[in-house]
Amino acid sequence: MKDKIESYIINNLASEPLDKIYDDEDLLGSGIVDSMGMMNLINFIETEADIKIPSEDMTIENFMTIKNIMQYLSR
Amino acid sequence: MPPMKTQFENFLPLTQSQLTLWTGQQMHPNVPLHDVVYTFDINGTINELTFEKAFQILVNENDIFKIIFIDRKGTPHQSINENSIINFKILDFGHRTKDEIHSYIKEKTLKPLNVSKQVYESSLLKTSENRYIWYFKLHHLVTDAVTFSILYNRMATLYGDLLQEKNSIPAESASFSDYVQYEQEVQHSKINESYKKYWANKVSKDIQNFRFYGEKNDALSTEAERIELSIGTLRTKKLKELANKPEVRGWTQDLTLFNIFTTLYLSFLYRTSGQKSLVIGSPAHNRSERRFHRTAGLFIEVLPYSIEIEDNDTFNTLLQRIKVESNSFLKNAGPGMTGAVKERNISALLNFITADFPDFNGHPTRIDWVHNEHIDSAHSIRCHVYDFQKNGDYRLAFDIKKTFLKGRKSVDIANHFFKLLDAFLNNIDKPIEEIELVSADEKQNLIGSHQEIIKPEKTVLERFEKWASEKPNGIAIQFEEQTLTYSNLNKKANRLARYLKAKNIDHKSTVAIHMNRSPEYIIAILAVLKTGAAFVPIASDQPRARLEYIYSNSNSSLMVTDRNFQSKVSIDTNEIINIHEIAPSLDTESSKNLDLDINKDDLSYILYTSGSTGKPKGVKIANKSLANYLNWAQNYYQVDESSVFALFTSIGFDLTITSTFLPIINGGRMIIYKEGGLGPDTTLLRVVEDNQVNTIKLTPSHLSLLKGKTFDDSSIHTMILGGEDLKVSLAQEISASFSKRLRIFNEYGPTEATVGCIASEFDPAKHIESSVPIGHPIENIQSYIFDDYMNLVPSGVSGELYLGGIGLAKGYIGASEMTLEKFIDNPYNPGSKLYKSGDSVRLNKDGEFEYLGRIDDQIKLRGHRIELSEIEATLNQLDGIDNCAVVLVENEQPIHEEEVVNCTKCGLPSNYPSTDFDDQGVCHLCRAFETYKDKAHRYFKNDEQLISLLSSKRDKSVNYDCISLLSGGKDSTYVLARLINMGLKVLAFTMDNGYISEQAKANIDRIVTRLGVDHVYGKTPHMNEIFVDSLHRHKNVCNGCFKTIYTLSTKIALEKNIPFIVTGLSRGQFFETRLTEELFWNDDLDTTEIDQTILEARKLYHQESDAVKKLLDTSMFDDDETFEKVQFVDFYRFSDVSLEEMLVFLKERAGWVRPTDTGRSTNCLINQVGIYVHKKELGYSNYSFPYSWDVRLGHKTRNESLEEINEVIDEIEVKRIIQEIGYNEIDEEEINSNKLVAYYTGNPDLSINEIQIALAKELPSYMVPSVFKHLTEIPLTKNGKMDKAGLKNLSSAQLEMDTPYVAPRNEIEELIEGIWKEVLQLKKVGVHDDFIALGGHSLAAIRVTARINEEIEMNFPLNKVFEHTTIASYASYIEQTLTALLEK
Repeated sequence: MKDKIESYIINNLASEPLDKIYDDEDLLGSGIVDSMGMMNLINFIETEADIKIPSEDMTIENFMTIKNIMQYLSR
Repeated sequence: MPPMKTQFENFLPLTQSQLTLWTGQQMHPNVPLHDVVYTFDINGTINELTFEKAFQILVNENDIFKIIFIDRKGTPHQSINENSIINFKILDFGHRTKDEIHSYIKEKTLKPLNVSKQVYESSLLKTSENRYIWYFKLHHLVTDAVTFSILYNRMATLYGDLLQEKNSIPAESASFSDYVQYEQEVQHSKINESYKKYWANKVSKDIQNFRFYGEKNDALSTEAERIELSIGTLRTKKLKELANKPEVRGWTQDLTLFNIFTTLYLSFLYRTSGQKSLVIGSPAHNRSERRFHRTAGLFIEVLPYSIEIEDNDTFNTLLQRIKVESNSFLKNAGPGMTGAVKERNISALLNFITADFPDFNGHPTRIDWVHNEHIDSAHSIRCHVYDFQKNGDYRLAFDIKKTFLKGRKSVDIANHFFKLLDAFLNNIDKPIEEIELVSADEKQNLIGSHQEIIKPEKTVLERFEKWASEKPNGIAIQFEEQTLTYSNLNKKANRLARYLKAKNIDHKSTVAIHMNRSPEYIIAILAVLKTGAAFVPIASDQPRARLEYIYSNSNSSLMVTDRNFQSKVSIDTNEIINIHEIAPSLDTESSKNLDLDINKDDLSYILYTSGSTGKPKGVKIANKSLANYLNWAQNYYQVDESSVFALFTSIGFDLTITSTFLPIINGGRMIIYKEGGLGPDTTLLRVVEDNQVNTIKLTPSHLSLLKGKTFDDSSIHTMILGGEDLKVSLAQEISASFSKRLRIFNEYGPTEATVGCIASEFDPAKHIESSVPIGHPIENIQSYIFDDYMNLVPSGVSGELYLGGIGLAKGYIGASEMTLEKFIDNPYNPGSKLYKSGDSVRLNKDGEFEYLGRIDDQIKLRGHRIELSEIEATLNQLDGIDNCAVVLVENEQPIHEEEVVNCTKCGLPSNYPSTDFDDQGVCHLCRAFETYKDKAHRYFKNDEQLISLLSSKRDKSVNYDCISLLSGGKDSTYVLARLINMGLKVLAFTMDNGYISEQAKANIDRIVTRLGVDHVYGKTPHMNEIFVDSLHRHKNVCNGCFKTIYTLSTKIALEKNIPFIVTGLSRGQFFETRLTEELFWNDDLDTTEIDQTILEARKLYHQESDAVKKLLDTSMFDDDETFEKVQFVDFYRFSDVSLEEMLVFLKERAGWVRPTDTGRSTNCLINQVGIYVHKKELGYSNYSFPYSWDVRLGHKTRNESLEEINEVIDEIEVKRIIQEIGYNEIDEEEINSNKLVAYYTGNPDLSINEIQIALAKELPSYMVPSVFKHLTEIPLTKNGKMDKAGLKNLSSAQLEMDTPYVAPRNEIEELIEGIWKEVLQLKKVGVHDDFIALGGHSLAAIRVTARINEEIEMNFPLNKVFEHTTIASYASYIEQTLTALLEK
């Protein structure tokens, strides 16, 4: 899942060409993804993991870094 | 230079976004609707040729520059024009002034591009030595804000690189044509389909048309004005600080700021429209795919944001919902989604632009987005938020459609947004509805002046008396054949005044005047005024109780009347002055003027209006208020000596004050129309037919009675409308029906502000909305529109009207609390008062007040707040609708079972219709019964009489004396056993309805065997259908079953030649099916007469067309002889037995055992279905009524009755049987739900479905009425206003009827309506409503006929009710009969 997320960001969302995203790289703060990109990412995760992320869970704390996302998903 | 990435293969279709823009442009082909222009004011030296070179490269790098749009067979396509020349000019404008340059740019901007040739235009204007303006126009079809930023930044890089002779390589990026193809490809992908579903559901039909500042959007115009303002660095800084707070923060700062601006914008739209269901459009950038991040082209998708503002929303609570909404918005904003949204629903746009434009190659540059002066025709307003140069200062640009700006300044509108912005920055937890929007300037305008315009103020009396001395022989009053000159009128008034004065009437007194419209009425009010006292007009048709209430409430010390009261009224006879009786004694009084000093602050009159508490309230009007109104009215309506007014409306209605005083204080003439029994409607017709008056004052409802007539020679030149909303359509139609010029005035004013205080003259050229505006306040009247928080609302926005000034009443008499509540301190003029009108109004663009309806006309239905007047206005605009009234019909909430009490005597429950319990808890039926108990007992007979009756026809009978109806229950078993005991030859008959319990059947078989009696079963295959019909008609099963029994047993009796059928009906059941109180009214009670009536009723009973009549052979009942051959005899009419005695007898003699398999005391399994349905739909058991009679007649005790009524019902079994017989249960929701009902006049053939469809285009679905009823005319109250309260009271059966509702039109119809209402327990009956359809049956016919006969002392036969089944027809039958009698 982690790889899928990383490659989705690199191939589809990132504002600049990227080789690698570090696990604790701030996705929003660094400008790698913007808000629309973040919602696309959530869409992607929902489809891939076949889950529904409730709106109250859509917080920076849960989605700031790939690490946060993985932590959230493993909950 | 890299080659163009993708070449179009011939043609490509348009993207969804492009298509939307294209369609908009097609509707407005000659305006620069979508021409987007940016100018870059570069402060520095530019190498012009290098700049041009750079632009050429820019054009070659981006395919959008070469795109052209072509319409192929009605479908637009796009293609690349490889041969297009580069549209770039260098112009030296060094010699031009700033203004000239500005107008050049404006001119260029407003000249639309021709997209079939080129989608852009660019030039470099040299404005001075070191200063250039780069003008850059692109068509929106190929651009968005980000594109401009991409192109600008690339241009700056290209220019810089060229200057340094560097090879400039563009960033790797897909082309726009790639995107166009990509959008096509993903259109039907799975994820896109889910997006589409989201958007389709997003904007449901429950959205009202947006009314920015209360006005409709003009869907044809596109012209707009832009106002651009900086919010300032301080506000921007504060905003950004707020954006960092955890509870506010979204994914990014941009998103947070977008959420904040959306919150503010929605708050702004809510406060400026008053609407709570809002939809705005907002562009999503839609560049999620990295390859398109830097592609020039149209990427944005404009998608809806739909929000419901909730009661008590604060900025923060709204923001929290918007945060959630924003996430779903972004989540679903896929390519092409614009196409999934219905355009018409987006009426306002918020455009939060993140694009940035830094300096141009090191030169400070100013960026301007030049407005093309147009917006989408669907949009009322757009708001753009941007900080192009990242200065830390957001700019707001509002594009406002010009139609909204007529009479309204764009700066005021922008200011309203800023007020909300500041309130937000100040406290995000502030309720949105509390914030004041208007600026100090606006406030000044809205408040107006408090300066009283000083008038040569004379009292009404002074002005009248002046005419009396100057024009003594002029005719003041005309009444039938009689005329009264000014002098005579004055003299008569003086004499009466002196008479009153002698009775101690002075300026502190109040005198009630209870009279018909007549010269005496005018004399009386003048006389009262001359004494300095106040008069209280009470119309002659007021009920006695109301008269008494008003008399005492107003502290009147005398009542002047033209009526003869004997002892009927509770007013001291010494205080009643009959004007006719005292006439002789008046002759001795002096006829000279009294010349008392009249204080302007003393009262002129006290007028009673209906109060919400149920008691009328007396409004105190001072002399100065009356004088102020009349002075103004005289000038405004141009009243002079030539004016002839009609006095034809009720004297108790403040509208009538105009016609009462205006003519006689201006030397004009008043023609008084006597009130007839036929209501005000026909009086108006008389007024116009007489053609003697030139000025009339009336309500719009009255006026509509003149529709369809033509007035070629009418003398009427002025009509003053008041009391109700005046529809433009009505004013237009009436205007057109007069060949001469007719001036129509619309006068608004509550009684509390003296007759009229805001007025307008109808102008067909200007007044084209649904209603004629009420206009401008009259002299010396202040009017304010406040919201719920007492903030003045901006012009256009609706609020409650408050009135102040000289015309204000001095409150309500004897109701200081209500006075304090309605007359509040004027915050803008300390020391003065404001009256809270309860009317919703707004100021229109012309500065006129528009009446929108009563504040309390706002209703709540299934959680939605609905203005009924809005539905009416929309309905009125439909073709074929002349007038309408929409009401909320509230289903009576059934009394909760715990709250039901039972009559302490008979046990009748309090939820039985129209019950009335006294202090001892005794019901009205018991109380009434006391009065005819003795007579009722004469109806009953004894055993001997029964035996002799049943054996009276013995010789004829072959085998049997009688049939005994045996249900197997205790009562009928007892009957059978007793008949046998009496030595009679009996055939027992049992109806097998399919639901007799096994044990009951065993009982029956055992009994007949033991008694040794012949026995037959009756059966029909149609039983279930009969049950279902009975449940629909009577909410029980027994009625249908009984009728089947009577039918089948009569058949057997005829076949076997049996003369009698004996029933086991209980005495209580007699009163349910045969007897009524009315039968015992006659003092010399004759039971044979009662029997005759019952027999007649029985004949009618068998003619009623129900399932039995339809499904069984009932032909024998067509023959009157049948009723002679077979007589029904009620056993318990002859024999009286207590329950206890009966049970003992049954056990010993008949072997009857109480069945246990029905779970109840009954022997019939379906019986409880009837009880269940009856209880559910009507709230009480169908046995409540007959059992109460059993108790009343001593057949049962109260406890026995209650025990049986309260027996538990097996719902599971009931549901099973309901399904078995095929009855469709009405669901709970339907029984208890309130519904919107629209009454309309106009074309009766309109399809209801089409009306609903038409309304649904304008209104959310919850505002579309579910029931529509055509009326020939809208019923009016006595004051000539729409009788909405009456319309709320039609029962659902009446609403379902095809017949239009028509209120009673004369006294006889009123009488019959009153009787029908009582007997049928309805609140309202139309004169064309059918007796039977209303639930009238033979017993009701007995009651109705008896009552009518009692009232008009006649002896109409029973069957006439069924011959003349409507009130109208019965009334005309009565009239004909009476006329025939008179002629004899």
